[in-house]
Amino acid sequence: MSQSDLITIPGRWNFEYTYFAGKSATRFFRELVDNRRIMGTKCPACERVLVPARAFCDACMERTTDWVEVGPEGTLETFTIITTAFPGLPKPPIVMAYVTLDGADTALINLVHGEDLTDIDAAARRLNSLPRVAVKFIDDPKGRITDFSFELLSQAAPRNDARPDVGNPAR
Amino acid sequence: MATHKPQVFIDSAALEISWRDERRNLSELIFDTVRRAIDEGGAGMTGINSVVLAAHDLVDGRSLSSMVTAPAAGAYLRDEIRYGDDGAAAFAAAVVRIEAGEAERSIVAAWGRASEHDVDSVSRALFGPLFGTPLGLEELHVSAMRAQSWIQAGGQCDARAEAVARRRDAARANPRALRGAGSASQPSYPLAPDDLPRWADVVAAVIISSRPGGPRVTGMGQSSEPFAIGDRELAAMPGLARAAQQALAEANVAAGNLDVVEIDGLTLFDEALAAEAIGVAAKGEGLNTLARDRRVNPSGGSAAGYCAPAMGLARIVEATLHLQGRAGTNQVAGARRAMATGSSIVAAQTHTAIVLEGI
Amino acid sequence: MSGVAIVGVGQTTYRRSHPDMSSRELIWAASKEALDDAGLSIRDIDVVIAGVAPDALAGEASVERSGIMGIGKPYVRVNTGGVTGSSTFFAGASYIKAGRAKAVLVFALERMGQATTSQQVFNTIFDPVYEKDFPLTTITMAALRASMLMRLYGYTEQHWARIASRSYQNARRNPLAHLHLDVSPEDVLKSPLLAWPIHRYEACPMSEGACAMVLMAKDSIGARKPVWVQGYASTSDSYAMGDRIHRPEATLVDLLSLRLSAEKAYKEAGVTNPVKEIRVVELYSAFSSAEAMAYPALGLCKAEEGPRFVERQFTDPSLPAFNPSGGPQGANPVSATAMVRIAECALQVRGTAGDRQVDGVERAVATGQGGATQFSTVCVLGKNPVH
Repeated sequence: MSQSDLITIPGRWNFEYTYFAGKSATRFFRELVDNRRIMGTKCPACERVLVPARAFCDACMERTTDWVEVGPEGTLETFTIITTAFPGLPKPPIVMAYVTLDGADTALINLVHGEDLTDIDAAARRLNSLPRVAVKFIDDPKGRITDFSFELLSQAAPRNDARPDVGNPAR
Repeated sequence: MATHKPQVFIDSAALEISWRDERRNLSELIFDTVRRAIDEGGAGMTGINSVVLAAHDLVDGRSLSSMVTAPAAGAYLRDEIRYGDDGAAAFAAAVVRIEAGEAERSIVAAWGRASEHDVDSVSRALFGPLFGTPLGLEELHVSAMRAQSWIQAGGQCDARAEAVARRRDAARANPRALRGAGSASQPSYPLAPDDLPRWADVVAAVIISSRPGGPRVTGMGQSSEPFAIGDRELAAMPGLARAAQQALAEANVAAGNLDVVEIDGLTLFDEALAAEAIGVAAKGEGLNTLARDRRVNPSGGSAAGYCAPAMGLARIVEATLHLQGRAGTNQVAGARRAMATGSSIVAAQTHTAIVLEGI
Repeated sequence: MSGVAIVGVGQTTYRRSHPDMSSRELIWAASKEALDDAGLSIRDIDVVIAGVAPDALAGEASVERSGIMGIGKPYVRVNTGGVTGSSTFFAGASYIKAGRAKAVLVFALERMGQATTSQQVFNTIFDPVYEKDFPLTTITMAALRASMLMRLYGYTEQHWARIASRSYQNARRNPLAHLHLDVSPEDVLKSPLLAWPIHRYEACPMSEGACAMVLMAKDSIGARKPVWVQGYASTSDSYAMGDRIHRPEATLVDLLSLRLSAEKAYKEAGVTNPVKEIRVVELYSAFSSAEAMAYPALGLCKAEEGPRFVERQFTDPSLPAFNPSGGPQGANPVSATAMVRIAECALQVRGTAGDRQVDGVERAVATGQGGATQFSTVCVLGKNPVH
């Protein structure tokens, strides 16, 4: 049987879902809108401040307790420079990075602005030096993770190591 | 040389059936029941080095859904595996791990959240793009055809209304049954609305170990049937019959000596026919048994709330609670031996049967 | 506890698509080859374990259900993303060790040849609440890790390119591989930048195909030539990569879950000096830079010595051979890839790996990775059983 005799059947894989964000994520997003601040939650066992805020610590299998504000500045841990377009986002090239906000024990992902990307390799060298960034909110936050992004701080200050790695997650 | 195979015991069992609790995302819903099972196991996370899960990407609404859900079930830095299969099959796999000497204590968890996905459209996707999906075939249609084939072969329907009433009453008496709205699909002939499952959000969790204390797993059986519905003996459910026979043989127990039988079935008729396949009802008398035999589905079966692929593990939890004397208002008095079954997609194609013995 | 051996191996070719085969036919082809290799029929098999990862890639919900073989046996499906192939294998071995089976058939099927929009499918593995709005893809996740490796340990783009080129050249000797390309390190660096620092030729192809193996209990092997399963382990980590950056035990790219799995597997297998005792390593490295995380986690070198270790691979014949099959860059049938690594190691230990055979393989190690390096597996195979 030749290739042209073989039957192919077109199809769509299309399912509708309603994802419940839950109380914790809802409150995290409300804090962005109402108070323009980023919140984490603390695990009573390992004492880590987990960002984004969440209801439980999976390392310890314990419910989190206190809500803690983190930032507004932080350290860029690692990054990539995206060169292909993505719907709803600024035109490439754009920088996406993990940032550990001051006071947090986990890093948060978001876009980073303020780097000159005309020479990608030169930009990469600069971004790969643990630069400091600050949270920047959009004018009209809507309760989505895109309500804020990170802006490189003009002073390339050394990494803030003031917060030691706390605790060992209980196993 | 004789090999010592560790015995397997159930430390704790927890089940939550809810509907649309928007305060909790899926991971948080799972965490709550797994955490409860851990707390009731009396030893925290000590010795737990294995996590065996049952969940389906299409139900959870994300590919590789265990990335976000496994941590909620205690997987952090542990040997975790997720089966895209029924919860009782995951339970069997966890038992195997302990018998193999690979785990000391294991979490087993299974879930499905009907309020987040469209059950019917997922069901339609199960039958394959070549011969099934284009016809709009759903698992409930197969249940209907299974019922019809049984009726044609002489299945006794006199006790049908009584079986429906008993199922509803049992669900009302079951502290774990769905209290919220739930949802339901449209029945197709010969099924009626009362025969159908109440779709719900279900999370089941069990902790098993090699240390004596709780009910013991005395027998286990697993079997399978062809995929194509036209290849199957629909009413006879031979795969379930084999799985049950294997489990009973290993446990050295006759079906008649079971004190509690928790049967997984999508509809009233599936449960009735399963009762026949297992051997707790004579051929043709499945509905009579569901109507009158208090041992069978004291939980209320699929009327208490249903979402694949959690149900085989939910049946195991219910059976365990009876053996522990902790079932509550629907407790079967003096329960010592129980069977729980779980049947997986597609339309009960594969089956697991577990026999448990209390102290 | 029974010793477990591999007595049969079957693989289809790995291609962009197999338009002449249905999903069940792919399963059957690999399984039949494994059964024939073992001198068994499906009737001799006690348990069948199927590995199929995200259904969305195939656009079919029950590929393994329709491909059921040997009606009446225990038949279950594993779905653990990228580690599916190895999780499935381990689950099969457990049934034998538990004494519940003498012969187990395991298979893994990837049917992404039916997908026209696979990258969109891969995007759906990320959290719809916090991450849906970002271009989180397997590529950008790998890029984030590669940047960190460069900062922490001094890797350069040249290292990633050399690893990639080595994989392609190895794949040319593997008739089953999807890609047979003569790619040099310069070709890699000239290929389009996907997300800094990842170039197109450092990523893996979209492949489909099936892999199967027959496992047997020690006492049932008879005259068959076994490849012994000496040790294996699987470890699951936290979901968010951001949670794994500040851990005291190990930062993100030190791949704690792989290290823990290696330690457990080596302990079971009696491996004490991996760089000397392991002759072949088949790594689940969907991106060439991902290999760098594996070397220290597998105990082959210290993390800081990684770049030098890569350079030595091209000059020092005493080092293990990496991905002689071409690895995932030669073929990445996602559901099956981790099982293919184990199958390729089995062929190497047996001495039947054809043109890609490495000399004198007593022991081989296969790894699996799933999620955004959330799941890690290690499997040690060898010519001799462990006592």
